[in-house]
Amino acid sequence: MTVADRPSRDPATAPLLLAARGLKKSYGRALAVAGVDLDIPERAFTTLLGPSGCGKTTILRMIAGFETPDAGSILLDSQSLSGVPPERRPVNTVFQSYALFPHLTVYDNVAFSLRLKGQEPNLDNRVRRALDSVHMGEFGDRLPHQLSGGQQQRVAVARAIIAEPRLLLLDEPLSALDRKMRGHLQIELKDLQRRLGIAFVYVTHDQEEAFALSDIIVVMNKGRIAQKADPLTIYSRPADTFVADFIGGATLVPATVIAAAPGRATVETPLGTIESAAVDGLAVGDKAALVVRPEGIAPAAGGAASLSGEVTHSVFQGERTLVEVVVRDIRLSLASHQPPAVGTSIDLVLIPERLFVTRLAA
Amino acid sequence: MIGRPLFSGFALGRTHLAIPVALVLVLGCIVPLGVLVVFSVFEVDFDAFVLMPALSPRAWSDLFHTWSFWVLIGKAVISGAAAALTTSILGYPIALALASAPLNWKGIGTVVLLTPLYTGEIVRIYAWRIVLGSEGLINTLLLDLHIVASPVKWLLFTPFTTALVLTYNNLPYMVLAIWVSAEMVDKRLIEAARDLGARPLDAFFKVTLPLTTPGLAAGVFAVFALAAGEMLTPSLLGGTSGQTAMAMIDNLFGTAFDWPLASALALALLAALFLTAVALGFCLTRFKGARAVIGRGRA
Ligand SMILES: Nc1ncnc2c1ncn2[C@@H]1O[C@H](COP(=O)(O)OP(=O)(O)O)[C@@H](O)[C@H]1O
Ligand SMILES: [Mg+2]
Repeated sequence: MTVADRPSRDPATAPLLLAARGLKKSYGRALAVAGVDLDIPERAFTTLLGPSGCGKTTILRMIAGFETPDAGSILLDSQSLSGVPPERRPVNTVFQSYALFPHLTVYDNVAFSLRLKGQEPNLDNRVRRALDSVHMGEFGDRLPHQLSGGQQQRVAVARAIIAEPRLLLLDEPLSALDRKMRGHLQIELKDLQRRLGIAFVYVTHDQEEAFALSDIIVVMNKGRIAQKADPLTIYSRPADTFVADFIGGATLVPATVIAAAPGRATVETPLGTIESAAVDGLAVGDKAALVVRPEGIAPAAGGAASLSGEVTHSVFQGERTLVEVVVRDIRLSLASHQPPAVGTSIDLVLIPERLFVTRLAA
Repeated sequence: MIGRPLFSGFALGRTHLAIPVALVLVLGCIVPLGVLVVFSVFEVDFDAFVLMPALSPRAWSDLFHTWSFWVLIGKAVISGAAAALTTSILGYPIALALASAPLNWKGIGTVVLLTPLYTGEIVRIYAWRIVLGSEGLINTLLLDLHIVASPVKWLLFTPFTTALVLTYNNLPYMVLAIWVSAEMVDKRLIEAARDLGARPLDAFFKVTLPLTTPGLAAGVFAVFALAAGEMLTPSLLGGTSGQTAMAMIDNLFGTAFDWPLASALALALLAALFLTAVALGFCLTRFKGARAVIGRGRA
């Protein structure tokens, strides 16, 4: 693989590989993709994250060439893909169900694309290298139905990377596997992506997976992009309540903006008046939401308490315990090393540096 | 329930369930064959028109020494194989189109496909005469358009007619068999092939064809047997070339009252068809796909 030795420095700012503009696709009257602009840099691991039915697969299928957009354009290496059939796009796909050819051995599955190109003197070498890169070197003679789910997934990856595509599309490739196997394969995939330097566009509805793998996360909601950013930004500065809610673990407290500056806002909430970082573009009087995560709240030390609530649940998570507290009818979570007993009352402080004000999702 | 003891002392297993099937096979296949074998060595008293039990090689000797019988058997094999070939070539595009058509089109397709089967052979034969005859539809059209100066004669009562009508008659069976098989091919496999660089035709030969060989095989076996055994179509549309082994057997059993020779000829024809079918089946299982599809049950 020619680019294997060139590690990616900052993949998120690498040159542009794919640019999609104004993509739209509807099935009958159902709008699957409702106007999407997407930039995929070279060598980056980009993830499309969103709930089932939000249009992720449809976007991949338009990039791969299986669906024609109703409107919009896709440029790859500055060349329009419009009218280019799937077999002539330098893009390969790892399908959600793997779609291995049941009548071909693992070896023949992986060799499929090279054989189509005619004489390939290095065929055997390249197939073996691709199989080795996914730790499947010893399984060349097996038929797909003789493999476990995780092994089938690896073969699907080997088959898709052997022709060295410019872009690899992966549609929920780990969703059919158990948790432990998923963890293993996430590490392998990320590792492989770094080594090959191929740009990946990865689809998942699992936010943990997206955080574990991605350079860039594109959060989607009902056929539109809700936010596109690096994982830390998505987590700490969610663009709206949909993103904050989907990423999980956050309480969204209703808030009204009483003062706004670029990137900051003061809001009035049932928990009191709070000044913190905020999305841009809020105006005084806007309805908004205060995003409170477990790290944004702590048990009060000494007389600093500003809030008090009742402990309603406590969930042991190994290293820490997640405590659910109800404060003025609002359910908050905080992490604690010495959990108080359920039913007792507890004094709390908010940590404004760890809070964020975001706008309400459309 | 299968495989679990139903009552103590007697476990009803898969093997036992095969008993009725085995009985049907024995009664439906072995017994008629046995009867034919026995009749083929009997003798006939042609004065009294009675069949007499005997152990006579007369019928078999007649069979081996009559060259025209072997021509008829060869013709049956060739016309069966030809019909199997033409129907599979024509049947594939139709079956694949039906498999990928929207649901309501599939219904229309089924009706169009099955209607000729229900119209009855004699009706179809006379319809073909109207279409293909010297003053038939096609010739009238060709003459009116000044494409030909005089009617095309070889359309009717020639081997061409037989081949055409055998293909038409048997096409529905082939299409149905391939169609069922094609419906079971996962569409995502075709997309995967395209994704990996296969043009539509590559995808057909590398994925669809291998994975539909079980359907193709079923269609080939059915059409081969039906076309090889067809008697009415060749004799009523094939003209002087329309003599068939089946008609000869019919003639021997009936008018000629030579049941031993008829039985011997029937057995020889059966053997020839069976061997050809085995050879066809062997060729088809050379495709990796057939083995994968049939072997999937054992995974
Ligand atoms: N072939 C199709 N026909 C009709 N509707 C479809 C088709 N494919 C997708 N859709 C619809 O488009 C929307 C987006 O689907 P999809 O892109 O598969 O979502 P995701 O991959 O995010 O789960 C869904 O509402 C789905 O029902
Ligand atoms: Mg999907």
